[in-house]
Amino acid sequence: MSEPVLRTENLTRRFGGLTAVDNLGISLAGGRVHAIIGPNGAGKTTFFNLVTGLLSPDSGRIFFRGRDITGFKPHVISRLGIKRTLQVKSVFGELSVADNLWITRQARHRFLHPFRPAARDLEAKLQVEQTLEQIGLADLAARPAGTLSYGDVAMLEIGMALIAEPSLLLLDEPTCGMSPAETSRAVAKIRDLARTIDIVIIEHDMDVVFGIADDITVLAQGAILASGSPAAIADDERVREAYLGRPEDEDFVEEAAHA
Amino acid sequence: MRDTVLLLAMNGLIWGLIIALIALGLSVIFGLLDIINIAHGDFFMVGTVLAWFSLSATGNFWIGFIVAPLIGFIIGAIIQRLVIQPIHGAAALSIVATFGLSLILQEIVRITFGATPRRMLAPIQGTVPLFGVDYDIYRLFAALVALLALGGFFLFLQYTRLGIWMRAVRHDRDTAIAMGIPAQRVYVLTFGVGFALAAFGGAVAAPITTVDFRGGVDVLPFCFMAVIIGGLGNLPGTVAAAVLLAFLEGLIQSFADPTIARISSLVLMSAVLLLRPQGLFKGFAK
Amino acid sequence: MTRRSLEIGMAVGAATFLVAVPWLIPALTDNFWVSVITEILIWSLFASSVNLLFGYVGLLSFGQALYFGFGMYGVAIGIDHVGLSFWPAFGLGIASALAMALVSGVFAVRLSWHYFAIITVVFSLIFYFLAVSMKPLTGGDDGINFSLPPVFRLGGSVFSLTDPTFQYFFVLAVVSLCFFLMYRVINSPLGKGFLAIRDNDLRASLIGLNVYVLRLIAFVMAGFLAGVSGALFAFFGRYASASYMFYQVSGEAVVWTIVGGAGTMFGPLVGTTLFIVIREIVSSHWEHHSLIVGLLAILAVIFAPKGIVGLWNGWMTRLGERDAAAPAKPRLTLQAEP
Repeated sequence: MSEPVLRTENLTRRFGGLTAVDNLGISLAGGRVHAIIGPNGAGKTTFFNLVTGLLSPDSGRIFFRGRDITGFKPHVISRLGIKRTLQVKSVFGELSVADNLWITRQARHRFLHPFRPAARDLEAKLQVEQTLEQIGLADLAARPAGTLSYGDVAMLEIGMALIAEPSLLLLDEPTCGMSPAETSRAVAKIRDLARTIDIVIIEHDMDVVFGIADDITVLAQGAILASGSPAAIADDERVREAYLGRPEDEDFVEEAAHA
Repeated sequence: MRDTVLLLAMNGLIWGLIIALIALGLSVIFGLLDIINIAHGDFFMVGTVLAWFSLSATGNFWIGFIVAPLIGFIIGAIIQRLVIQPIHGAAALSIVATFGLSLILQEIVRITFGATPRRMLAPIQGTVPLFGVDYDIYRLFAALVALLALGGFFLFLQYTRLGIWMRAVRHDRDTAIAMGIPAQRVYVLTFGVGFALAAFGGAVAAPITTVDFRGGVDVLPFCFMAVIIGGLGNLPGTVAAAVLLAFLEGLIQSFADPTIARISSLVLMSAVLLLRPQGLFKGFAK
Repeated sequence: MTRRSLEIGMAVGAATFLVAVPWLIPALTDNFWVSVITEILIWSLFASSVNLLFGYVGLLSFGQALYFGFGMYGVAIGIDHVGLSFWPAFGLGIASALAMALVSGVFAVRLSWHYFAIITVVFSLIFYFLAVSMKPLTGGDDGINFSLPPVFRLGGSVFSLTDPTFQYFFVLAVVSLCFFLMYRVINSPLGKGFLAIRDNDLRASLIGLNVYVLRLIAFVMAGFLAGVSGALFAFFGRYASASYMFYQVSGEAVVWTIVGGAGTMFGPLVGTTLFIVIREIVSSHWEHHSLIVGLLAILAVIFAPKGIVGLWNGWMTRLGERDAAAPAKPRLTLQAEP
């Protein structure tokens, strides 16, 4: 069995009296799309923040492809190949869409050249144009990212994640706030990415989750409640109780799971 | 020698109490409106000038104690409404705005009051023997007034409606608004209160220092030191820091250059900013 | 006429004017204005140091006068106390400003917004007081006066900064070079990194940018610009004084930058020109020109927060949008605003 992409040992993080992540031992294998679901406050985003170095754990360790990355700074972890999108969509609002992609591409290099005109970097330019096509924002390339609609910002974030050629992609509620049409577009894109990149996705939209996930982990109160295949999770009593709770959702989940 | 140390230390202590008043005004503006008020020293200076003018106009020194904070409050409120509000308190822009304000205040004083520094005679002359030193009565009186004013201000914050509103908005702006507190009005009044405190400090300090259009320049860094070292949003801390710093500077001055004293305070302030930006004193944090 | 050609036309016009100044100005008005323009060039370089940090990286420094002072004193002390000749003294000024910027930047850049602004003032105040108290070395508030060594010899002729025309061209050359360097940096990958950090530093660290290091680099570059302007100032006036390290000097540069237009290349130049010209014209009739400076500063932040050049760019963009027929092919907007 090969090394899991992402593994944690006894990962714990508290905020004052609240234990957001409680002795978490997650192990995510490579080559599959993992979804992390759970009620609000379950610790999902905190988990992402710990993995990407925005927070440091109170105890425990984090391993990325076998390498201990506990306590590394965010930009170091980013350079190792872990990229993420944020729950509240966050891009460089004053830069143009094209520049957002461009700077993400550039940030991979340790050294940003101080004197060469940026326009000369043809490789980056090409990548940006290709990515613009891929995410369908080619028409909006020159617009400041801050003027984009919410759905387009989300696509831009995915594009930024793409152009960085990540080794592990963490998506935090990527379809949150999207219209149904935008959601299908995003799901198709994510499925596409999943062919070459390891992906972990936090989601609330069960349609999306059951549509793309190979494995699902359910978090509640900072610990793993259940994990397994989508079908197993859909049938799991505890999950329904803790999370879904309502009859309408049950039917919906059954439908989605067996779709 | 011992007398000099004692004298300077006591001067420092008393000056610290007065500065505490002024620094409180700055802390309230900084803490509530998030504005780095470069004109705050000039608010103090305007207070000294208002005291001077009211003395010349009426022959009564004590009127200044009312005139200065009152007019200061009004000017402060007007400034907030006319200048700060339109820019929505945007951080960098407000610094520039208060810098411009500082220039305007200095020039207006220069035009009306003149460029030559003047001394004001203390209303109470004479000395009193204290710890073996003959100490100036007015300074002691000023310290008492400052203490009373400080106490009064804390009572104001605790018990009056505006005081409670100010504390609420500082603590949690959004909840305060949701509960119906008129935040915009609180900002206007807060700026007025900040100016009034500084102006009152100026009126009290006028006989001890010189009345001079450049008088605010020296006071400003000191106020910031008190606010930072005391802890942003920590009002009692600001008072403690002001008194402590002035006392220490007074002490250091007895054996070294006043410039050295000032440099050591600044170095201390840098250390606090870098190592413990929330201030040295524990307390009600923002 | 397209926007681009209009702006190029203006640039060429301005450049021609600047080159012609030593002959044009005396023909039109008082000779004294040549030295005013020289001064404007020096101070606009100083304002650019504020602009680089604030307009492009989002860090408001209220203490650039510190590095100006190091540049200034490096030259003055180098010539007066150490007996250096022109170029070594110039080098000393720049090197000491760079060193000071590096040392203070390491600490300052760690801090967030408000505290950063405050600590830049604190650092500059500390050295201001040190300079005032170390009278034997720095001349305190009175300052040092020194005489200028020749710049270089060519055959039998000697060029020196005491000749106002040569002085003007020397300053123009150095300032232009610095502006050119700044232009290259802003349009480079590093410059884009700066903009990203200014915009959203959290996002920047997530895409792999080392925010601390990039801010430090910008801080040192700004210290360089301030140091060069301080050194030029010392050469210009043959004088150095601690009063130029006071926070009011830094503050004025911030006002010039914001009124001129922060985040634009020529904003600082426009702002500095405006204020110094006003100062020169008004102060000969009325001594309270600071009142006008203060009023302009306040009016600018209320009505034109993007500054004069910012307003210009805004108008140009809106005109361009009205004229544009179909949307153009996606262009990478990699050119910085003028």
